[in-house]
Amino acid sequence: MELPEKGNEAEKEQSVLESLKEWVSGMLFGSFVEIGTQAIRKEAFDINDNLMLLLFGDFLGIPNPISYYTLELLPYVAEELVPWERRMQNRKTIVAEKAGQYDFG
Amino acid sequence: MTRPAYRPFSFFGGKGGTGKTTCAAARALALSEEGIKTLVVSTDPAHSLADAFDLSIGEEIGQIAPNLWAIEIDAETEAQKYMKGIQEKMLHIVSPVIVDEIKRQIEIAYSSPGAEEAAIFDKFIELMEQLNSPYEAIVFDTAPTGHTLRLLTLPEILGAWLDHLLEKRARAVELMSMVAKYDREVRQKLESDPITDILGKRKAKFETARRILTDPALCAFYFVLNAEKLPILETERAVRLLTKYGIPIGGILVNRVIPEGAGDFLEKHRLAQQGYLRQIRETFAGLPVTEIPFLETDIRGINELDKITGLLKNL
Repeated sequence: MELPEKGNEAEKEQSVLESLKEWVSGMLFGSFVEIGTQAIRKEAFDINDNLMLLLFGDFLGIPNPISYYTLELLPYVAEELVPWERRMQNRKTIVAEKAGQYDFG
Repeated sequence: MTRPAYRPFSFFGGKGGTGKTTCAAARALALSEEGIKTLVVSTDPAHSLADAFDLSIGEEIGQIAPNLWAIEIDAETEAQKYMKGIQEKMLHIVSPVIVDEIKRQIEIAYSSPGAEEAAIFDKFIELMEQLNSPYEAIVFDTAPTGHTLRLLTLPEILGAWLDHLLEKRARAVELMSMVAKYDREVRQKLESDPITDILGKRKAKFETARRILTDPALCAFYFVLNAEKLPILETERAVRLLTKYGIPIGGILVNRVIPEGAGDFLEKHRLAQQGYLRQIRETFAGLPVTEIPFLETDIRGINELDKITGLLKNL
């Protein structure tokens, strides 16, 4: 029986190392960097959702003193509006939402 | 002819039926007769300005006498124009599926309280920005007291509101661009944020209005009332509120004051009015009080208005 080529073996080792490296860096990115950006993204979404609530709260039945003036923003937020409305209506409690954000339950 | 000192913007407020449109018309006529190019603006849907001049006045500015222009603003039409503008803009930006949804939202907002008020206020700002091109004075005949007051206090309340919104949007945009550090498309979109842009413009507009409305050299608010008990209390409250918001008050106009020798039938009424007039002078001690006599007939047309322009020339 012929022994497998040494070079081939080395190559295989190399590629295993490569994928290991990728996996490790991916895991590091996922567990540190990505979680960081995730939190920021969540924060940005939260603030934006609150802003939408202030601007278009009357769509959900909350009186808004300047609803007339916020209308002119509609063309620019229209795409966000429908999912936002859904999110707002599906919101259970603030506590549950915050807990979910930190993986409590 | 030497022109009298005048403030370019004057507002005539008071309860419905006290004759504020007549006063506004006469004041505008008086200014125009002094050679000042004057625009008189009415927001009364009942077309009382057209009645006062006995001319037809439209929703577009039209000249009705030398140096005198007039316009009747219809709140509903103005609000509709605004909504249409938004809908048109939307058609270019948004996918057709969402347009229907948004149209529904616009309908809701259209019937919300304050929409017409806001529409009128917008038109006021638009007109005020036209000062000196060519109108040198603009006289507003505003709607009844409570409504007018809210209209004039809007900028203050809305200014704070908008500040808050802008702050929130800036924070959201900042966070989003942090996340989108490696996403060029998103970053570019955030750099020219239309929401910040529009809110900022709106804020600037309110600030302009506020600046004009609180400048005693530019604007004056006049209260028209009849010599009766309740209007005094109400006007007192309104004066206090305007003062609180820093809106300068030009004076009090007491309309339909019964002159002496009006006959036995009116004598008792006249004496009662004199009592209220004293009370008015006491209550509004710091303000000029102008009496406008009760005339034999209703004031209609420029000739009739001329009977009282002399009283309103030097407000």
